[in-house]
This record gives sequence, C-alpha cells and structure tokens, in this order.
Amino acid sequence: MKKSSISIFKVLILASGITCFNSCSDFLERQPDTIMTDDQIFGDAVMIRSVLANYYGRVNWGQSNSGNGYDYTILDEAGKSDGGPDNIQGYSNSLWRVYDYTLIRNINQFLQGLRETTALAAADKQVYEGEARFLRAWTYFNMAKGLGGMPIVGDEVFDYESGMDVTALQYPRSTEAGIYDYVIEECDAISTLLPDGTNQNSARANKWVALMLKARAAIYAGSLANYNNKMPSPIRTSGGEVGIPADRAAGYYEQALAAAKDVIENSPYELQLNKPDDLERNFYEALSVKDNNKEVIWAQDRIYPGSGQQTNFTTQNIPGSHAEDIDRAYAGPILNLVEDFEYTDNRNGDIRIRDGQGDYIFYDDPLDAFANKDARLGGTVILPNAPFKGIPVVLQAGQKVWNNGAWQTITSGGDEEDDAGRLITAANGPNRSSEPYVNKTGFFFRKFLDEAPLASTRGRNSDMWFPRFRFAEAVLIAAEAAMELGQQSAAVGYINQVRDRAGIQPLTSVTLDDIIQERRVEFAFENHRYWDLKRFRRAHIVWNGVVNSPTAQQYALFPYLVVAPGTENDGKYVFDRLVFSNSLHPRFFELRNYYNFIDLGWQNANPKIVLNPFQ
Amino acid sequence: MKKLFNMLLLPAIVAVSSCGLDNYDAPESKILGRVVYNGEPVGVRGTGEAVQLQLYQDGYELGSPIPVYVAQDGSFEALVFDGEYKLVTRDNNGPWVNDRDTTVVNVKGTANVDIEVTPFYTLSNVQLSLSGNTANASFQVNEVAGGRDIEYVMILVGKTSFVDDVSYTARVDINEVAAGSTVTGSIDLANNADFQSGKALYARVGLRPVGKDQAIYSQVVKLR
Repeated sequence: MKKSSISIFKVLILASGITCFNSCSDFLERQPDTIMTDDQIFGDAVMIRSVLANYYGRVNWGQSNSGNGYDYTILDEAGKSDGGPDNIQGYSNSLWRVYDYTLIRNINQFLQGLRETTALAAADKQVYEGEARFLRAWTYFNMAKGLGGMPIVGDEVFDYESGMDVTALQYPRSTEAGIYDYVIEECDAISTLLPDGTNQNSARANKWVALMLKARAAIYAGSLANYNNKMPSPIRTSGGEVGIPADRAAGYYEQALAAAKDVIENSPYELQLNKPDDLERNFYEALSVKDNNKEVIWAQDRIYPGSGQQTNFTTQNIPGSHAEDIDRAYAGPILNLVEDFEYTDNRNGDIRIRDGQGDYIFYDDPLDAFANKDARLGGTVILPNAPFKGIPVVLQAGQKVWNNGAWQTITSGGDEEDDAGRLITAANGPNRSSEPYVNKTGFFFRKFLDEAPLASTRGRNSDMWFPRFRFAEAVLIAAEAAMELGQQSAAVGYINQVRDRAGIQPLTSVTLDDIIQERRVEFAFENHRYWDLKRFRRAHIVWNGVVNSPTAQQYALFPYLVVAPGTENDGKYVFDRLVFSNSLHPRFFELRNYYNFIDLGWQNANPKIVLNPFQ
Repeated sequence: MKKLFNMLLLPAIVAVSSCGLDNYDAPESKILGRVVYNGEPVGVRGTGEAVQLQLYQDGYELGSPIPVYVAQDGSFEALVFDGEYKLVTRDNNGPWVNDRDTTVVNVKGTANVDIEVTPFYTLSNVQLSLSGNTANASFQVNEVAGGRDIEYVMILVGKTSFVDDVSYTARVDINEVAAGSTVTGSIDLANNADFQSGKALYARVGLRPVGKDQAIYSQVVKLR
C-alpha cells in the first residue's frame, strides 16, 4: 500500500517537471505576422497608403445604400415591404450615434508616423496629411451632429500604462460651437494641403471636399444657432456642450456662403446636365452613374470584382419582375415622398386621384398620373409602369369592378388573371399582406438602383457608390445661407439653378420651407433628411406621432385596373391612397431625440463628460 | 494512505469553498413611491419608458444612475438592496418645472417616498363618458407654475387601460385653450373599429405645455 502512494507522488513530480522544462522552448517567441511595427509601416510608401485606405473604409455612418434599404424606412422616405411590419414608433437614443475615438487615435498615430517618415516625397506627405486630417474632421463632424460638443483631442496620442494617473487623459466635452469651429478651422487648413484636381470616382478627399465639409459644418452650426434659440424652450446644457448662442448664426452663415461659393465658382464640378432632353434620366445619371460624373464631389466608392466591396441594395430592392436572384422588394419609397415632388407648374405635388366631386380620376396608363411632375421624381423613384432597364415595371394592386352602382375591389395572388384574361394583382404587387418579396408601397427605388447586368445577384451584387458631397448641395447651401442673411436675390438665383435642372417653375422668393422642401426631394436617400429636420428643429413637428397625420404616418398609393365593361372607363386605371399597411405607427420624434444620449459607460470612464439634455 | 488523503484535501477545500462567496442574492427591498403635487399623484405617459426618475447610490466606483420608470398613474417601484439612495427626476423630463433637487431615500425593507413636483398645469373636475357613438369629455385647466403657454389639450380613447399620446385608438387635439377655462370636447367613434367591436374602452385627457417633452394627464377612466 505504501509503495503505491510513493509511486503516485513520483508520477506527479515527473509530470510537473516535464511541464516546467518544456516551457523553456522558444516555441512561443515568434514574430507576429499580423501586427506591424511603426518602422515596417512608415518605412514603406505602399504600406502608408494602405493604412490611409483603411481609414476611408471606417468613416461610413448613418443612412446609406449599403444594405437592404431599411435605413430609409426609419424616416418618411420609404416603407419596409419584406415580411411583417416594422413596428417603428419612436427613435432610439443612440440612432446613428458616432463615438469613434479609436479611429481618431489611429489617425493621430498615423499623423505622427507620417510626419517623421522618409519613405515619401514631401508633396505626397502633404496630401496624405491633408487626407488624414480631413477624415478626422469628418469624424468629429459626424459625432457633433448626433451628440453636440465632444472632447477634442487635437494631435494627441494617448498611451496608458498600468497604474498611471488617468485624469490627464480625461478631456471634458467641448462646446457645441467649439466642435463646429474646430471642424471649420481644420477644413480651412486642410484645403490648402490637398490638390484641387478630381480623382477616380471621387473616392478621395481633395480641396473641394474639404471646402464642402466646411460649408456643411458652417450651415449646420448656423441653423442650430438660429433655430434652436427660436424654440419655446431651447435645448441646451449649462456649459454649452449643447446649444450655440444665437449671435453666432450670422457668422456661420457667412462662412457657409463663402465656402459654397468657392466650390460653385472655382471647382471642376457642375450641376450635371448631360441629357437636357431627358431630365429624369439626367438626374438618375448624376447620382447613380460613375463614368464621366461631374456632379459628385466625394463618394464612398465600391468596386467589382473584389471581395466584400459591393452593396446588396440593388439585389434586395429590385422589382420582382426584373430580379435576377431570389431577393427583391425589401423596401419601397412611400407616397409621402412622392407627393413632396412638385408639378412643373404647381407647387402642390399631391397626386390627382379624385375629382372635385370625390369621384375617381381615370388614367389610360398609370404613369399618366405622374405626368408633369418634377423630373427628379422619375430619377429617384420607379413609378407604376415606368421603365427600368427599358422594361416597364408593372405595379397593379388589383381591379376596381363596377358592380351595381358601386366600386368593388378585387385582389389576387401575384400575376393572376380574371376570366377575360386581364391581370388582377401584378407579381410585383403592391399588396397589403405580410408576404415577403412583394411591394407594399406602390413604388420602387430608382436612385442607386444599379442597371448593370447581374448587379442584383447575391454572387455579384452592385458596385454602386454612395455620394456624400455633390455639387447641388453646394448650390443649396449657398441658397440657404443667402436666404438667412437676407440676400433674397442671391438665394433665388441659387435655388432656381437646382429647380431649373428639375424642370420645375422658378421661385421669386425663398423661405425656410422652400429650402426644406427642395432638400427633401433633391437629396432623398442621401442621408440628409434626418439631420436637416433636426437642425431646423422641425423633426418633432413633422414626426409628431399623431395617427393619420399627413407627415408622420406613412402612406402608400395603390393602382387598380378598372373593369366596367360597356363604359368609357373600362381598361383605365384609378388609384387609392392608403395608410401604409406595413408600418403600423406614425413616426414620433420626441424632444430628447434632438441629441443622442451619452453612454453612461463613457461617463464612468471619464467623469468630466456631462450628460445631454433629457438624459 | 494518509499522504494520499492529504494530497486530495486541498483540491476538495477549493472545490467546496468556491461556491457562494461571490454571489449576492437578488435584491428584495423595495422603494414604493408616487410623483405628487399637493398630495395628488400626477398622471403621465406610462408607455415607452417616457417618464423616468434616476436612482443614485454614493460610495461605489461607478456612479451611473438606475432608471426608475414612472407608471401612468404617477406611481413607481424599484427593487434594490438596503442602503441610502438619492432619487432625482430626469433632466427636462416630465410635464413639470425642471427641478433636480435630490430626495434621500433610506431603504430598509420597504421605503415609501413621494416626489414633489410643480406641474405647469393641472387638470381637475374631469368628466369622461360615453353616450351613443360619442365620447364626451369636460375638464378644467388650472395654471400652476406659470411661464408656459398651452400647446394643446387632448382627449384620448384607448382600447386597453394604457392610454396616452402614443397608445390610443381615437384622439382629438384642441388648440388655443386658455388657462383657467373649462374645456369640453367630444370624439365621434362611429367609424372606429375598436368602438364597433364592442370591447372595453378607456379614456383620459391630457395637456401639453409648450416646449415640454411630456403632457400631464388625468387618471384613466373605463368608459365601458
């Protein structure tokens, strides 16, 4: 018995001994092949360039055409058509919130290394410095529009060692005016570092991109200073982290006007007008075709082939009749947006579906109901029976049958016909069920929908870009700034340039409502709507949460084929305006939504960060 | 054999003692309270975490508040550990004058606490009734804090006992209401699907002061 216990003891010693000796091998002491040292990066021009490229891939925030289009269904631009309802009612306290000090630290590390490197010529160094600082300013701007003033760390690269006093690393929030001032000052400096020529697909920052950011930051700051202080109780914090003093507004408007004017008068970009005879097509191409594009100043570019660079927006939103894969019709624009496009000679854009007596208006072709609309409508939205890639997109909800003196509505499954061989409900829809892959709004996306062959397949997807700055924005910023500064004739001149390209009547005076309206239709799906309504302090009025409110509730437009044999209206089309069935609730933007909430974890890590109002 | 036993003893002790030390029981003490003005609870929106109080406890490394949600009748409830807490209203939240004074709450078992607020307006003599197809409301608007106009008053009918400016089946807003006046209004429910279904209906009235994020409400009344 005793002998066996000794042998167990020996075995244990032996085992631990083996473990001990083994650990002295250099098996674990290898150079990592995925972590680069500063010397490896900044000794090599190609490596420096790829690090910079990495930052370009990390600055895509907010609403974009990078996915299924649900980003567009949150507001009042589109409705979710895929499967069950969206159940959206209010807005999250962290919607599109940006807080990326990791990126800012990385860019500052890059700037440190870049300034010391000898691997680049001085001219290249200057451009890289400008691009890196531009991306940093863009990051601050995206933080500011959601959160207000946030800590500005300059070129500092913080290093933490265990046991050190962290209070030196804790920066308080800047004021809201301060962070916009910083972005504007940086853009001034950056614009002198960057070249003024264009680059492939407008994917990289140049002088004009920096000036566009300056103009946008200044017009945001100006409108915040202006409209926040016109609220019954302005939203602000005692330290000014939120809330810009009203007397700063004029200065910001002047900066915005000067920067926008510089772009309009001196840049190589223009309000693209390649097809004056087909303004719809012209508008589509200005936004959605990259070749020879003169409109877009800065875009998130995508390429094919190449892994992971493409977007499946086209794949998931293409009309069923045009689909090349199983995906289709995830979302579609809503009537609210369609009706905000004016008629060429009438500023009220409501679709005429009933006459003065409340009877239907009959159209030979569903597309006729949209005749004489703003040309941008057709370039933004696929209307019922409008062509895509040369083939009409049939949208028909069902038939209206004249039956004993009353209209009876008949619907069917997709693509079924009645006894006379006439289509009942089109395969594309629209319908009001929760069936997936069928449109529910009456419209499809046109803007950003790729026409390239196989762009709607899962295997390929689309290399459609996402424009961030374009020439029309410079023009509308100039119009807005001039209007706010009381320069009516200048404002009218600018806004009419944009309206002229859309083929609609010129204005003789400009109000804030005109600016909001023009930006709404010009920049639909371009990540402007939410931020615009916020900075004008209109969001809580437009999205007031009231059931059946014309602006907060989402609406659909359903086309029907008229079946009334023996009457003159047989075979024509009528429309019904319906509450969009797949979004049950009106949109409700509350006062707390004007600023994202500060995450309490950030405050725990840095007690100098004060909270936002309503938090 | 004894050595073997000794060698096994240590892991056994580790195994046994590793349970229990780092686990707390769930909190069982309770803070029960109401948001009141002159002893009367203040009706608010009870859905969507709309009205919150914040509970702080000093003496710990991290100081973030615990949210306490106020129900539509103005009551609230929180399960916590025994100890001393500080209770405040959330910044600019609620239909009352923003006041971030701290109420100290000592919890031992159960603590009852009333948070005093000063609403901009109160609603009194609220009469809600159903006659035929119409919901009728009559109530008096009393100005309390002053300094803010009335944006609108609303009459709300809901199909559940949760009724507010987001959860309702029928709603009428009345603008240009003067302080001190008696408001009467009605909602025609003839075409309302929830009315036609014959099921239960509830109602309340509310008032939104200009520039506040929340309305003040009467208590919910069951119409049928």
